[in-house]
Amino acid sequence: MPFPILTSIVALPAVGALLLLLVRGDEQGDRLARQIALVVSILVFAETLLLWSRFNPASADFQFVERHAWIPAFGISYAIGIDGISLMLIVLTAFLTPLALLGSWESVHRRTRAFCAFILLLETAMLGVFVSLDLFLFYVFWDAMLIPMYFLIGIWGYDRRIYAAVKFLLYTMAGSVLMLLAIIGLAVLYNATTGEYSFDLVKLYALQVPDHLQFWFFLAFALAFAIKVPLFPFHTWLPDAHVEAPTAGSVILAGVLLKMGTYGFVRFAFPLFPRAAVFFAPALATLAIIGIIYGALVAMVQPDMKKLVAYSSVSHLGFVVLGIAALNAQGVQGAVYQMLNHGVSTGGLFLIVGMLSDRRHTRLIGEFGGLKKVMPHLVAAFLIVTLSSIGLPGLNGFVGEFLILLGAFRADAKMAAFAATGVILSATYMLWMFQRVNYGAVTNDKNRNLPDLAPREWAVLVPIVALAVLMGVAPNLFLNPIAPSVDHMLSQVQQQIPARVRADGGPAGHAVALAGFTHPEAARSAIARIEGSRAETTR
Amino acid sequence: MNPGALNAIVPMACVAAAGLAAMMAEAFRAPDERMPIAGLGLVGLAGAALASIALWGHNASSFGVVVADNFGLFVTAVLIVVGVLSIGISGPSIEREGLPAGEYYALMLFAISGMMLMATASDLLVIFLALEVLSLAVYVLTGIRRTSSTAVESAFKYFLLGAFSSAFFLYGIAFTYGLTGSTRLDRVGSLVAAQGMSPTPMQLVAVGLLLVGFAFKVSAIPFHMWTPDAYEGAPPAVAGFMSTGVKAAAFAAFARVFLAALDPLRGEWSAAVWVIAAATMIGGTVVGVAQSNVKRMLAYSSIAHAGYLLVALLAANDVGKGAILFYLLAYAVTNIGAFGVIAVLDSADRPNDQLKDYAGLWNERPGLAAMMTIFLLSLGGFPPFAGFIAKWYVFSAAVKAGYSWLAIIGVLTSVVSVFFYLRIVVMMYMTDTEAPARFPGIPRIAGAALVVSAILVFYLGVLPTQVMDWAAASIATIF
Repeated sequence: MPFPILTSIVALPAVGALLLLLVRGDEQGDRLARQIALVVSILVFAETLLLWSRFNPASADFQFVERHAWIPAFGISYAIGIDGISLMLIVLTAFLTPLALLGSWESVHRRTRAFCAFILLLETAMLGVFVSLDLFLFYVFWDAMLIPMYFLIGIWGYDRRIYAAVKFLLYTMAGSVLMLLAIIGLAVLYNATTGEYSFDLVKLYALQVPDHLQFWFFLAFALAFAIKVPLFPFHTWLPDAHVEAPTAGSVILAGVLLKMGTYGFVRFAFPLFPRAAVFFAPALATLAIIGIIYGALVAMVQPDMKKLVAYSSVSHLGFVVLGIAALNAQGVQGAVYQMLNHGVSTGGLFLIVGMLSDRRHTRLIGEFGGLKKVMPHLVAAFLIVTLSSIGLPGLNGFVGEFLILLGAFRADAKMAAFAATGVILSATYMLWMFQRVNYGAVTNDKNRNLPDLAPREWAVLVPIVALAVLMGVAPNLFLNPIAPSVDHMLSQVQQQIPARVRADGGPAGHAVALAGFTHPEAARSAIARIEGSRAETTR
Repeated sequence: MNPGALNAIVPMACVAAAGLAAMMAEAFRAPDERMPIAGLGLVGLAGAALASIALWGHNASSFGVVVADNFGLFVTAVLIVVGVLSIGISGPSIEREGLPAGEYYALMLFAISGMMLMATASDLLVIFLALEVLSLAVYVLTGIRRTSSTAVESAFKYFLLGAFSSAFFLYGIAFTYGLTGSTRLDRVGSLVAAQGMSPTPMQLVAVGLLLVGFAFKVSAIPFHMWTPDAYEGAPPAVAGFMSTGVKAAAFAAFARVFLAALDPLRGEWSAAVWVIAAATMIGGTVVGVAQSNVKRMLAYSSIAHAGYLLVALLAANDVGKGAILFYLLAYAVTNIGAFGVIAVLDSADRPNDQLKDYAGLWNERPGLAAMMTIFLLSLGGFPPFAGFIAKWYVFSAAVKAGYSWLAIIGVLTSVVSVFFYLRIVVMMYMTDTEAPARFPGIPRIAGAALVVSAILVFYLGVLPTQVMDWAAASIATIF
């Protein structure tokens, strides 16, 4: 049997967390705990790089697959494996976790041991979500991940942390329980078709789901993922969670957790229910565009830097969903690339805001000003990360946004036009914030003697900046493994639909979508009608 | 008489004998002498466990009214686990409040023997007898803190309502006898089936009365009123024992009567059970949100869990057959654990059962707080704990059987219930205490029982296959 490298990657952080239980709870133990956690997370990152080096980028199949029966009576197995998309997200997760730990090195004073243990448990759950090839296993990781995040926000967060933690957990859980029922429904359907139970993704991909069930199942999955993304109007938990979370929590929340929603669309909702996906794609795209513009406008008026970055996430993740909903190679590739970008840039922004907040114990933009003179190095890094978030050519953000807009334009030029305003708005709010914080005279005396980057902070920011540049100038390095997987996913979707069905315009599409709730028959015939008219026009 | 004819009652006889021994020990005990009476109980339960293993798969029957089939034995096993863990967590309350140990353990053991009889009875009258054996013991246990007025009040309430429900049940038995001329479940089943498709009013009355009787015992809404009061007044270990043991025994008989004997009338009772299940899930969770006393909160949680079990009962198909048994076991280890934590914190002068009493528990007793969190997350249905697998099993059965709406109500009420379970977690981990060190120490045996519960909760959550297979194979013996 080959070495189970994926299992070892997923399990290593959890083993590290167990190891922390052996550490004493005093101050010395806390320091040791931090070091152990950092070493473990760096080891995990090294292992993911090893995985990348062995990954065959030309193949769209799942690689490094491990399958073991878990609950055989129901066809549940411990099945894990990765394709290009999950590979990149695993690397991102493993890259951000040590940085998050380093970023909280000094701001977490109490209960450090437990803090590190929760971060490591969270890492295991996140990695598990990205490698699961069994829907049951996926759900277990998906739900289990909420618990450590809940504690991270609730114990080490800021003033309204309890409210934010409970809201985060309940909101996310409410979305995902219906997905659990849809997963069960799929397995029951599989049983009705083949006579056996299976939660195996590869087998379920091949299942022909009747249209009316596709509607329900897709809605259940989409609700869970849309809340996680978060897609407008399900985003209200996000600003609270982000603002109240400790720096490490925000970094992981923005960097990885939000990607689980978009990853869920790409991996599960779209290929499992292609007809419903095509039917709902315009609605998703519309919500995404509303999110892009709304998030940007709200970000513009935020006095709190952390809240600003949080709302900018709503806007940026809108781009990702738009790219996925475009359902063409450029759009989806761009979306996956943008997931990585957002992890790097927004993770970087939260780390920098955390550094400012460690120094001044405030995150209000009005409290700062003229920092460039005081802390030139930190501000330089801040500038690069800001520009990467805006999408300046030469940095990572540009590649993703460009591909997404290209894909969206091919799908629907109007949508691309609206979305493009988001690019302008994001430049406005980010640069305006940057200007108020860093340029001008030092107006607040408290800012006069702030120390510049410490060695630990250099260690946090250098990898982020380097990666932002690398992803900007050599995107193919990252796009190559993604491309075959994306093509494979699109072909899965298109297999069941000959031509892309655009639900004739907004209002009509919504009427049909609503009919899907109450009259599955009517909805089905509506799809047939739309498809028929498409077939005629293509002829 | 064939000596083998007694085989089926050996497990409960072991437990009853241990109960008698405990009573004798109490009688001969000098006022301040310490006796390992709890040990007697453990020995009796161990004997019952050995007997159950020996009986497994033999379908032994005694007097034609007690059947030790695998279904009954699985529930017996659950009851043994409940008994061992309950005895384990009883120590702190008994010592700190000076409760009479002999009486306490004797009553608990008699209750367990009654529960075992109820789980294996195949005659309506024997079920009634078992119900009374267990109920009388539990009424007294509820009020065993004789000097506390709340305890006496809650025991009295429980007794009155319990007697009321017994009357319903007995009346139902009388009607069933009037219809079929028998109280034996197998004959009742075949005669009801023979009476044809359209049910007579007599049949409906009989089914309805039996349903009300069972609904009282499993604390389903609207027959749940006694539950919060009884749990609040009883010592925490007894509340944990009641919430799991009584429920397991009552559901076992419920399943036997309704799924086996009254299955031909499923069309008549399924709608009623549907409504009761939905009301129980919704009512239990919604009212649970408003509680500030942890024991009352767990009482409403136990009501909600009765709702999930009713869903499992209703959806008992080829998927869901094992669900009800697995759920009973998962719920038992989890809930006894949760009440065990309360029991450990309970002291003579301070019950420590208000939500705010849990503030800062993490700082004082990190291990206890961690275990309470595990139990609460399991009750809420989070992976990788037993409660998640149990709920998933039930909802799978419901979806498969076409009860999608019950499944939807079930998952949504689970989310609501997580809200109130989290209130305790918030208190323990995220709220600082003003007055530190109010918590008594953790006795070793009770601590061990809690650790065992926590391990079982993990085990059933991560490696459920073996137990699920046993559960599915067991229930196959009754229908």
